[in-house]
Parts: sequence; structure tokens; C-alpha cells
Amino acid sequence: MGGTPNYDVCIVGSGAAGGVVAKELCEGGAKVLMLEAGAEVDPSHFLSTLWPYQLPYRGFRDEKQALFYPNDISPVVYERSDPVSVDRIRVLGGRTLHWNAVALRYAALDFRTRSLEGFEEDWPLTYEELEPYYDRIEQIVGLCGEDDHLEILPAGKHYMPPIPWRCSEHILHRALKKMRIPMISVRKALNTVPYDGRPPCHYCGHCMDGGCMVEVIFTSPDCMLPKARATGNFTLRTNAVAREILVDREGLARAVSYVDRGAHNDKQAQAKIVVVCCATIESARLLLNSRSPQHPNGLGNSNDVVGRYLSGHQGGGAESYLKELEGLTPWNQDGATDHVYVPRYNQLERKKDYVGGWGIQVNYANYMFPHHATRVHGYGAAYKESVRRMQTGYLMLGPFGKIESRPENRVTTNPDKLDKYGIPIPEIHFRFSENDWALWHDKNRSLEEIFSNLKADVFPNFGSFPGGFGSHEVGTIRMGPNPKTSALNSFCQSRDVKNLFVTDGSCFTSSSEKNPTLTIMALSLRAADYIKEQRRRGEL
Amino acid sequence: MMKRRKAIQIVALGALAPTLGEAVALPPGTAWRAKHYRLRFFTTEENELADQAMEIIIPADHHSPGAHEAQVSLFADLMVATSGNRVKARWRDELRLLREEAGRSSLEAALAKAATNEGRPETELERFFARLKDMTVNGYYTSAIGIHQDLRYQGNTYLSAFSGCRIKKIMESEGGETS
Repeated sequence: MGGTPNYDVCIVGSGAAGGVVAKELCEGGAKVLMLEAGAEVDPSHFLSTLWPYQLPYRGFRDEKQALFYPNDISPVVYERSDPVSVDRIRVLGGRTLHWNAVALRYAALDFRTRSLEGFEEDWPLTYEELEPYYDRIEQIVGLCGEDDHLEILPAGKHYMPPIPWRCSEHILHRALKKMRIPMISVRKALNTVPYDGRPPCHYCGHCMDGGCMVEVIFTSPDCMLPKARATGNFTLRTNAVAREILVDREGLARAVSYVDRGAHNDKQAQAKIVVVCCATIESARLLLNSRSPQHPNGLGNSNDVVGRYLSGHQGGGAESYLKELEGLTPWNQDGATDHVYVPRYNQLERKKDYVGGWGIQVNYANYMFPHHATRVHGYGAAYKESVRRMQTGYLMLGPFGKIESRPENRVTTNPDKLDKYGIPIPEIHFRFSENDWALWHDKNRSLEEIFSNLKADVFPNFGSFPGGFGSHEVGTIRMGPNPKTSALNSFCQSRDVKNLFVTDGSCFTSSSEKNPTLTIMALSLRAADYIKEQRRRGEL
Repeated sequence: MMKRRKAIQIVALGALAPTLGEAVALPPGTAWRAKHYRLRFFTTEENELADQAMEIIIPADHHSPGAHEAQVSLFADLMVATSGNRVKARWRDELRLLREEAGRSSLEAALAKAATNEGRPETELERFFARLKDMTVNGYYTSAIGIHQDLRYQGNTYLSAFSGCRIKKIMESEGGETS
């Protein structure tokens, strides 16, 4: 049980958060071990650009992403939940291997919903405190885009050139201008010029299908882990499924117990500090499964906050076919998925009966498949001609809206429901709130208004409920100003266990409409600085 | 409507060699493996019926071959064969239903009846039409014929630069403003 820790730091999880912490701490001189439950998949094995007819089921059974979602370590159950789904990616790099790379800063108001609107809780830090970390992480990662001088979407100073807009996006812009709704070039962790030793995008258009094969999009394995490795301080173990975090007599973290998927046995990794970066669902699961006499309710969970406040994004967009572009000779519109972004705009409108808003990602689906073909009525030659004619007019709007952060929405684990390795699996309990529903209805109304300003055939995908979470789950081990309602302080440090940190999306106090990854990385950078400083002082 | 003899021939031969459209040739190496395909779930008669119905839904025209040439019924067979028992039983029952309806008139008339309430299907036959059309769409527009010959999709290729919108009229309507 005892013994000298082999590592200064053990990081569990290798995605956006884990990659940043590993790089920073290794460069700071710490000996770091990273555990990743999934395998390492070489980009040369990505299937993104295969044609559907080269796949066994034409892609309808997610063949392109199968490498990232191994069945043996991905089970999850939904108990008394509204219809939502959580992302179960398990691969070296986590979600950075399979993302659109949209990288947005939270705005000042996103950190202060309690102060400004009497809603949820304020974060324990302000935008101004996080801003220097946004600046730094943006330079490390490399973003394309530009400063649009919008208070709702603060910008940095260093961007690669934005991606040129498609015709459909210019038409959308024209309509939005009349409505006084801003639309900007998207800010993405994607190279439009060579950056950090990586090439510029070649616009194959299928990055979201199964990963970027040429390191144009930021990923943790391509961009962060090599820097960690270059220090000589970094050790990586893949196929290492964390079972629990073990503690010493004082209740401090001393080791991570994990299953070696290859050897099918249990091992331990001893470290002075444990940083949990397995994403919102898995991180909560790991802490809840780490029960001991010192922490009978799970690690860092003396106040019963761990697992609670599960949040994320609600969706429900629409596909449309612009009359102005229909029937033209087909041309290559693939590009790099999103090229533009519609920042939140409802804060400029009339008084609302709900809190929060939505932003709109545009054209993140690819252009290969005619999405309208099952929605256009009829059959036969006229139908076929109609599908063909409409295809060039494709414009897709994909809004992401805020979901209220509430304690009753939570992840739990049940000792009677185990995965293949005997580890209790996560159970999701989630209901949309009145605020979520009100926001969803207003978002749908607003989208209909936008489309009424476009000459287009429109196929809404609103469904009958808000839907969640768009792979943007956050909460569950949240930071906060109040020790009774938060598990972490503003440096992502456990309030109960001083050598335990959680820096992935689970640390968010609340969700805004903005994609969370850039904020995850900025918070991870800040936490890494804090760990370095505490180590220097001998506090950790 | 496709001739029965031709439909039987398709099954007997496994698949016909792809017939290229007039204007667009398929990229090399895209011939589907269907020539080695053997039915896994559909009977010969069921495949024949599905093939004929799918060709009516997405027919060959002056622009491109249809669902028959794209061998969509074989894609359907694979998808159903690898689905659960409920899905399999439903397809079996519903193909029989379609056959019975066609027997009372013709396949064209049966499909016309099935498609009557496409937006709000009420009968079993109408619900089957939605499933059959979805399968046809999914199979056809993911085939080499659907992607390259019919839609003439230009993407999934490497570009040295992405040029953005080059339609002058649209750019002018933006007041010359570009990104």
C-alpha cells in the first residue's frame, strides 16, 4: 500500500483538458503519467475520407467512428431521463479527435448569471481572471477567425485568417443583417495557414466523419502530447481504464487503480497529485466509484455535489435549400465544415421569460448526402430531379442552447450495474427545466423567423423536445464560490482532497450557449499554473 | 416497371456490371462488391420485388441510372439481414403486403396507394412506403452512382485553397462585402 510515489502527477484522461495539463506540468519539470482508457489510433487509420460505398454499411452504423467508441468501456444507462445522450468516446485524445474545433470564449456575463439575472450561481472566477489564460491557450492551440468586437463573444488578438464563406453563408448573412443579427467568421482550432509545425487545411470537408488525418485540426495527441513527450518527463499508458482513486490514511489521493485492457489485470499508478480529465460523465463516475472509509460518499464528495448539476447544450436546428442556389451546376462546397457562426443575439431583444440564449453553428454537416431526400415527398423521375436540383442550395443551421444547471440532473453509479471489468457504470438522470423549454420554444420561433427571411425550402429538426447534449456535457464536479454547492475551488482543486484536481468540462459551474472546449483548456492551463506554483512552494 | 426476366437475371448473376452514365464516369475502384454478394435475408422473389419497387421510387432517367443499377435492393438485404428479428419480420410481412396489393392491380398502383399519405401514414402499407423509401434513398445516394453520377458531388478531395463564394450576383448583393 505505501511506498514512494513513482510520479509527481497522474493525469486520468488525454483529451483537451489532459493534454494541456500534461504539456504544462511536464514543461514545468514534473514527472507525469497519463492514463487513457482508450487506444491510440494512428491518424493514418482514420476513415474520414472513405466513400460510403467503401464501408460495409455505407456509414449508417457509424463505421467511421467505431475506432473511437469501443463497446467494452462505453456502457451507460439512462434512468428516468428525458431523451438525451452523452458522448462515450474512449480514445487517446478524447473528443479532440472527433470535433468541429469551434473554439469560443465565454463572455463576462456567462460567469455571472446569479449576479446579473438571479439565476443559477456565479462562477468563482471572472472573465477578467480567465482572460490571460484564454490568450495563452489560443496561441498554443492556434485558431482561425478574427476579432469581431462583440461583447457577447470576446476575442483574442491572434488569429489565422478566417475561412472564406460559402455562397449560402453570404445569403444567410444578407438576411441576418436585415434582422440586425450578427454573423461572424467562425473561430476554430483549425489551421488556415501553417502553424505550430502543422499544415494548412486542404478542405476535404470530412473532419467530423472520423478525424483529421493531417493534423490540421487541433488534437491533444498531435499538438499537446508531443510537447509533453519532448521534455522527457512524460509517460503514457493507453488501454488503462481507471477503476478508482486510492487514498492514504489522511484521505489524500495516493494512487490510481486501473485495469489494463490488454493484460486483463489490475494495476496501480502512484502519484503525489491526481488530475482527473476524463470528461463530464467519466470523471464523475471515477470519483463516485472511489469510495473509502475516509470518503464514504465518493472522493471529494462530502457535500454530495459530485455527479450533480449535469448540463450541456440543447439542440434542434433545421436544414434548408436556398432557391437562389438550387439547380446550379454542382461545385465543391465541402470546405472545413463550419465557416461562419451566429453568436448569441437574444440578449439584444425584448424582455424574455427565461435566462440564457443560443448560438448557431452553420453548415457543419457535409455536402455528400442529400439530407432532404427523405423529407421531400413523392417518388419517381420528378422526385429524383427535385432532390438533385435542391442539393446545391443546402444551408444548415445548428443552434446550441443553454441548459440550466440543476442539482437533480446528475450522474450516479450503481454497484449492481457493472461493465466488463467490474466497474460500476454511469447512470444518467436528466430532466429539462421550465427555463430549458422556454428557451427552446423561443429558439425555434427565432429560427422560423430567420428562415422566413430566406427564400428556401425548410426542413426543421426541432423534434418534440429540446434534445441534448451535443457532446458538450459539463457540470457534475463543479467549481463554485460556495463550499456547500461546489466540489472544486476556482483552480479546479477539490475542496476535500487538496492533491486532487478536475479540469475537464465537469468543473463548469454552469453552461452557456458557447462550445466549452476552449474554456476547458483555459481552465486547465490556469489549474496547471496553480499546481506548479503549489509544488514550488512545497504545498503539494 | 422492370421486366420480371431482367429482375431474375440480376439475382441469378449476382449483379450486373455498372452501366456508366453518359457524362460522368465513376472513379476507379468504385465497383461495389455486389458481384460477389449473395442474398442473406431476402428470398429471390422478395429481392426482385424490392428491386422493382426501388427502381420505381428512384428510376433511371436521362441524367443517371436508378436504384436498380445501383443495386439498392442488395444494400437493403444487407441492412435488414444484420438487423434484429423485429425488423426482419416487419420487412418480410410488409413485402408480402406489397406483393398482395400489387397482385390486385400492379406494383405501380400499389406504390401509388402506399404513398397516398406520405406525410401522415396511417395504414401498414403506407408506413411500409416510408421505410422502403428511406432505404432506397439511403442506398442510392450512398452508392457510387448516386454520389458521382446523379448528384455529381464534387467534394471529398484535397484543395490547395478554398475559394469561397464565386457567384458574382450573390457577392454584389452583399455590397461587395466578403469575409
